[in-house]
Amino acid sequence: MPEIRLLKVSKHICRDVDLTIRDGEVFVVVGTTGAGKTTLLNVIAGVTDYKGKVLIDGVDVNGVPPQKRGVGYLFQGLALFPHLTTASNIAFGLHARGHNKRAVNDRVLTLMEMMRITHLSGRYPHMLSGGEKKRVALARSLAPSPNILLLDEPTSSLDHQTSKYLRSELLFLLKKLAVTTVYVTHDLREAEEIADRIAVMSKGKVEQVSTPRNLFFDPRNRSVAEFIGMPNIIECTGSRVLASGLVEVESGDLRILLPYDGNNLAKIAIHPEDIYLSDVRDPGPALNRFTGRVDEIIHQGATVRVKVSVDKMMLLTEMTQDAFEEIAIEQGKEVNVVIKMRRLRYVEA
Amino acid sequence: MTFKGISIACSFTTFGLYAVLILSLFYFFRTETLWDALFSERTLFSIRLSVVAATISTFLSVLIAVPSAFALSRYDFAGKKAVDTILELPMIVSPAALGAMLLIFFNNPLGLWIQDHGVQFVFTFYGIVLAQFVTVCGVSTRLIKAAMDEIPVRYEAVARTLGASPGKAFLTITLPLSRRGIVAASILSWAKALGEFGATITIAGSMAMKTETLPIAIFMRLASAEIEGTVVLILILVSIGLSILYIVRILSRGDSYA
Repeated sequence: MPEIRLLKVSKHICRDVDLTIRDGEVFVVVGTTGAGKTTLLNVIAGVTDYKGKVLIDGVDVNGVPPQKRGVGYLFQGLALFPHLTTASNIAFGLHARGHNKRAVNDRVLTLMEMMRITHLSGRYPHMLSGGEKKRVALARSLAPSPNILLLDEPTSSLDHQTSKYLRSELLFLLKKLAVTTVYVTHDLREAEEIADRIAVMSKGKVEQVSTPRNLFFDPRNRSVAEFIGMPNIIECTGSRVLASGLVEVESGDLRILLPYDGNNLAKIAIHPEDIYLSDVRDPGPALNRFTGRVDEIIHQGATVRVKVSVDKMMLLTEMTQDAFEEIAIEQGKEVNVVIKMRRLRYVEA
Repeated sequence: MTFKGISIACSFTTFGLYAVLILSLFYFFRTETLWDALFSERTLFSIRLSVVAATISTFLSVLIAVPSAFALSRYDFAGKKAVDTILELPMIVSPAALGAMLLIFFNNPLGLWIQDHGVQFVFTFYGIVLAQFVTVCGVSTRLIKAAMDEIPVRYEAVARTLGASPGKAFLTITLPLSRRGIVAASILSWAKALGEFGATITIAGSMAMKTETLPIAIFMRLASAEIEGTVVLILILVSIGLSILYIVRILSRGDSYA
């Protein structure tokens, strides 16, 4: 499967984007709305004009029309052809490429079985649910066996459960097909789950490309740090195994428990929204519960960031304005701090 | 009165206006005149001529309008605004002026050459078709363009990434999706061509059994004060027009993908 290189690509908000997507990897592009993520996919697919160069396996494909780039593209709005049934939608690309009827039928059947949509074969798009439409669109983009797969927000506008389920299936499928995939999402957790590497885009520029873990522990600049949610990075000075799969990490006087099988942690990252503040001590086991002092309260529209000192360590926390109004905290006062155990990220020594 | 009530009342006012005009024809209606007029060779010729000419001119205009509308809807090109604006020409100038423009053209050297070496348009059946074509071509292009503007360009982009050439994407995606719009444009163009009078009489004249379409026959009867005959011809024109529109409307039902 091919390597994709973008050299000084400019289109709309995107300015001089240089990017290399490795052969067979799942490359996730994240960024806020309007960052230029979809534009990047359109450029690779060749469905828009652009400045700069796109190389596929070292071959300059500028001027090569979309139908000859060997790219499968799952558009954000899916764009299932409304006048065609599920089977005909999937078969479209095969017919367009001149495959014979029998080969088309076999391939369509295989894909419908793989995506578990055989029972939807004769239905039109308006008769399908959101999740079913996504499966049909994915089968359609895979039908001509593309070398490159472009996925634009493939799990957006689905309920949490369906989205999670589809994501795990997608991950399995992408690894099985070993197709070079460029996956666009605005959801960082989704990116982290599925990516071999992540590119963070902001205002048309690629701010950082790295593995998911490095992104959280080593954001290159303020823009990336803001996008990944300004995680609190805690250096581990020691750790001990409490039980199988449970470790107590030391950082100064702070002791944090986290589920981990081993005893060699270097750093842990805690997202500001994974730290809860409370003016009263909640009942329950005292795991990852501390007492801190409010240093600073920063109002940011719908959210509030609170800086809290816990045993000489400053932790950044974040909550909604509504949640903030429900707790009586003031600058300089004591506050109860709870760190959500399951959402901790770590880096090994 | 509620807003819903007011809007429905307005639609019935429009209906009522046309219904009163049609019903008022019956004041001068005579059954015996109907049979005489209906089965006269001259009337049957006018009906046949009108239907055939309107069908040919509509077919030709839709044939040109579909690709033109696609180009105007999808591409940016030099002179696009000029092309887009001139589509309105038949609506800006009166049909008689349009016919006069055609007549003047065929008296220019180029027009004369076309008449001498190609097809004779002035005072012939071809003139009727041309007059109707010129009148409806802009309208059908405008209507089909509106239908194609409604179809997201994304569908064609998807088709392209799946391996379809621009032409194949147009034929397999855009054309079927704009079918309703094309049918509607064809119906309206045909109805407009069937009732076309000003341009037709200017270029093709009003020769009985040669270039006398139904609207021209109506005018000729009225000019010679044959009110009862005029009424019968109007009723024939209205019946043909409305029944075909109604049939096509029924046939194109259930075409929605939503």
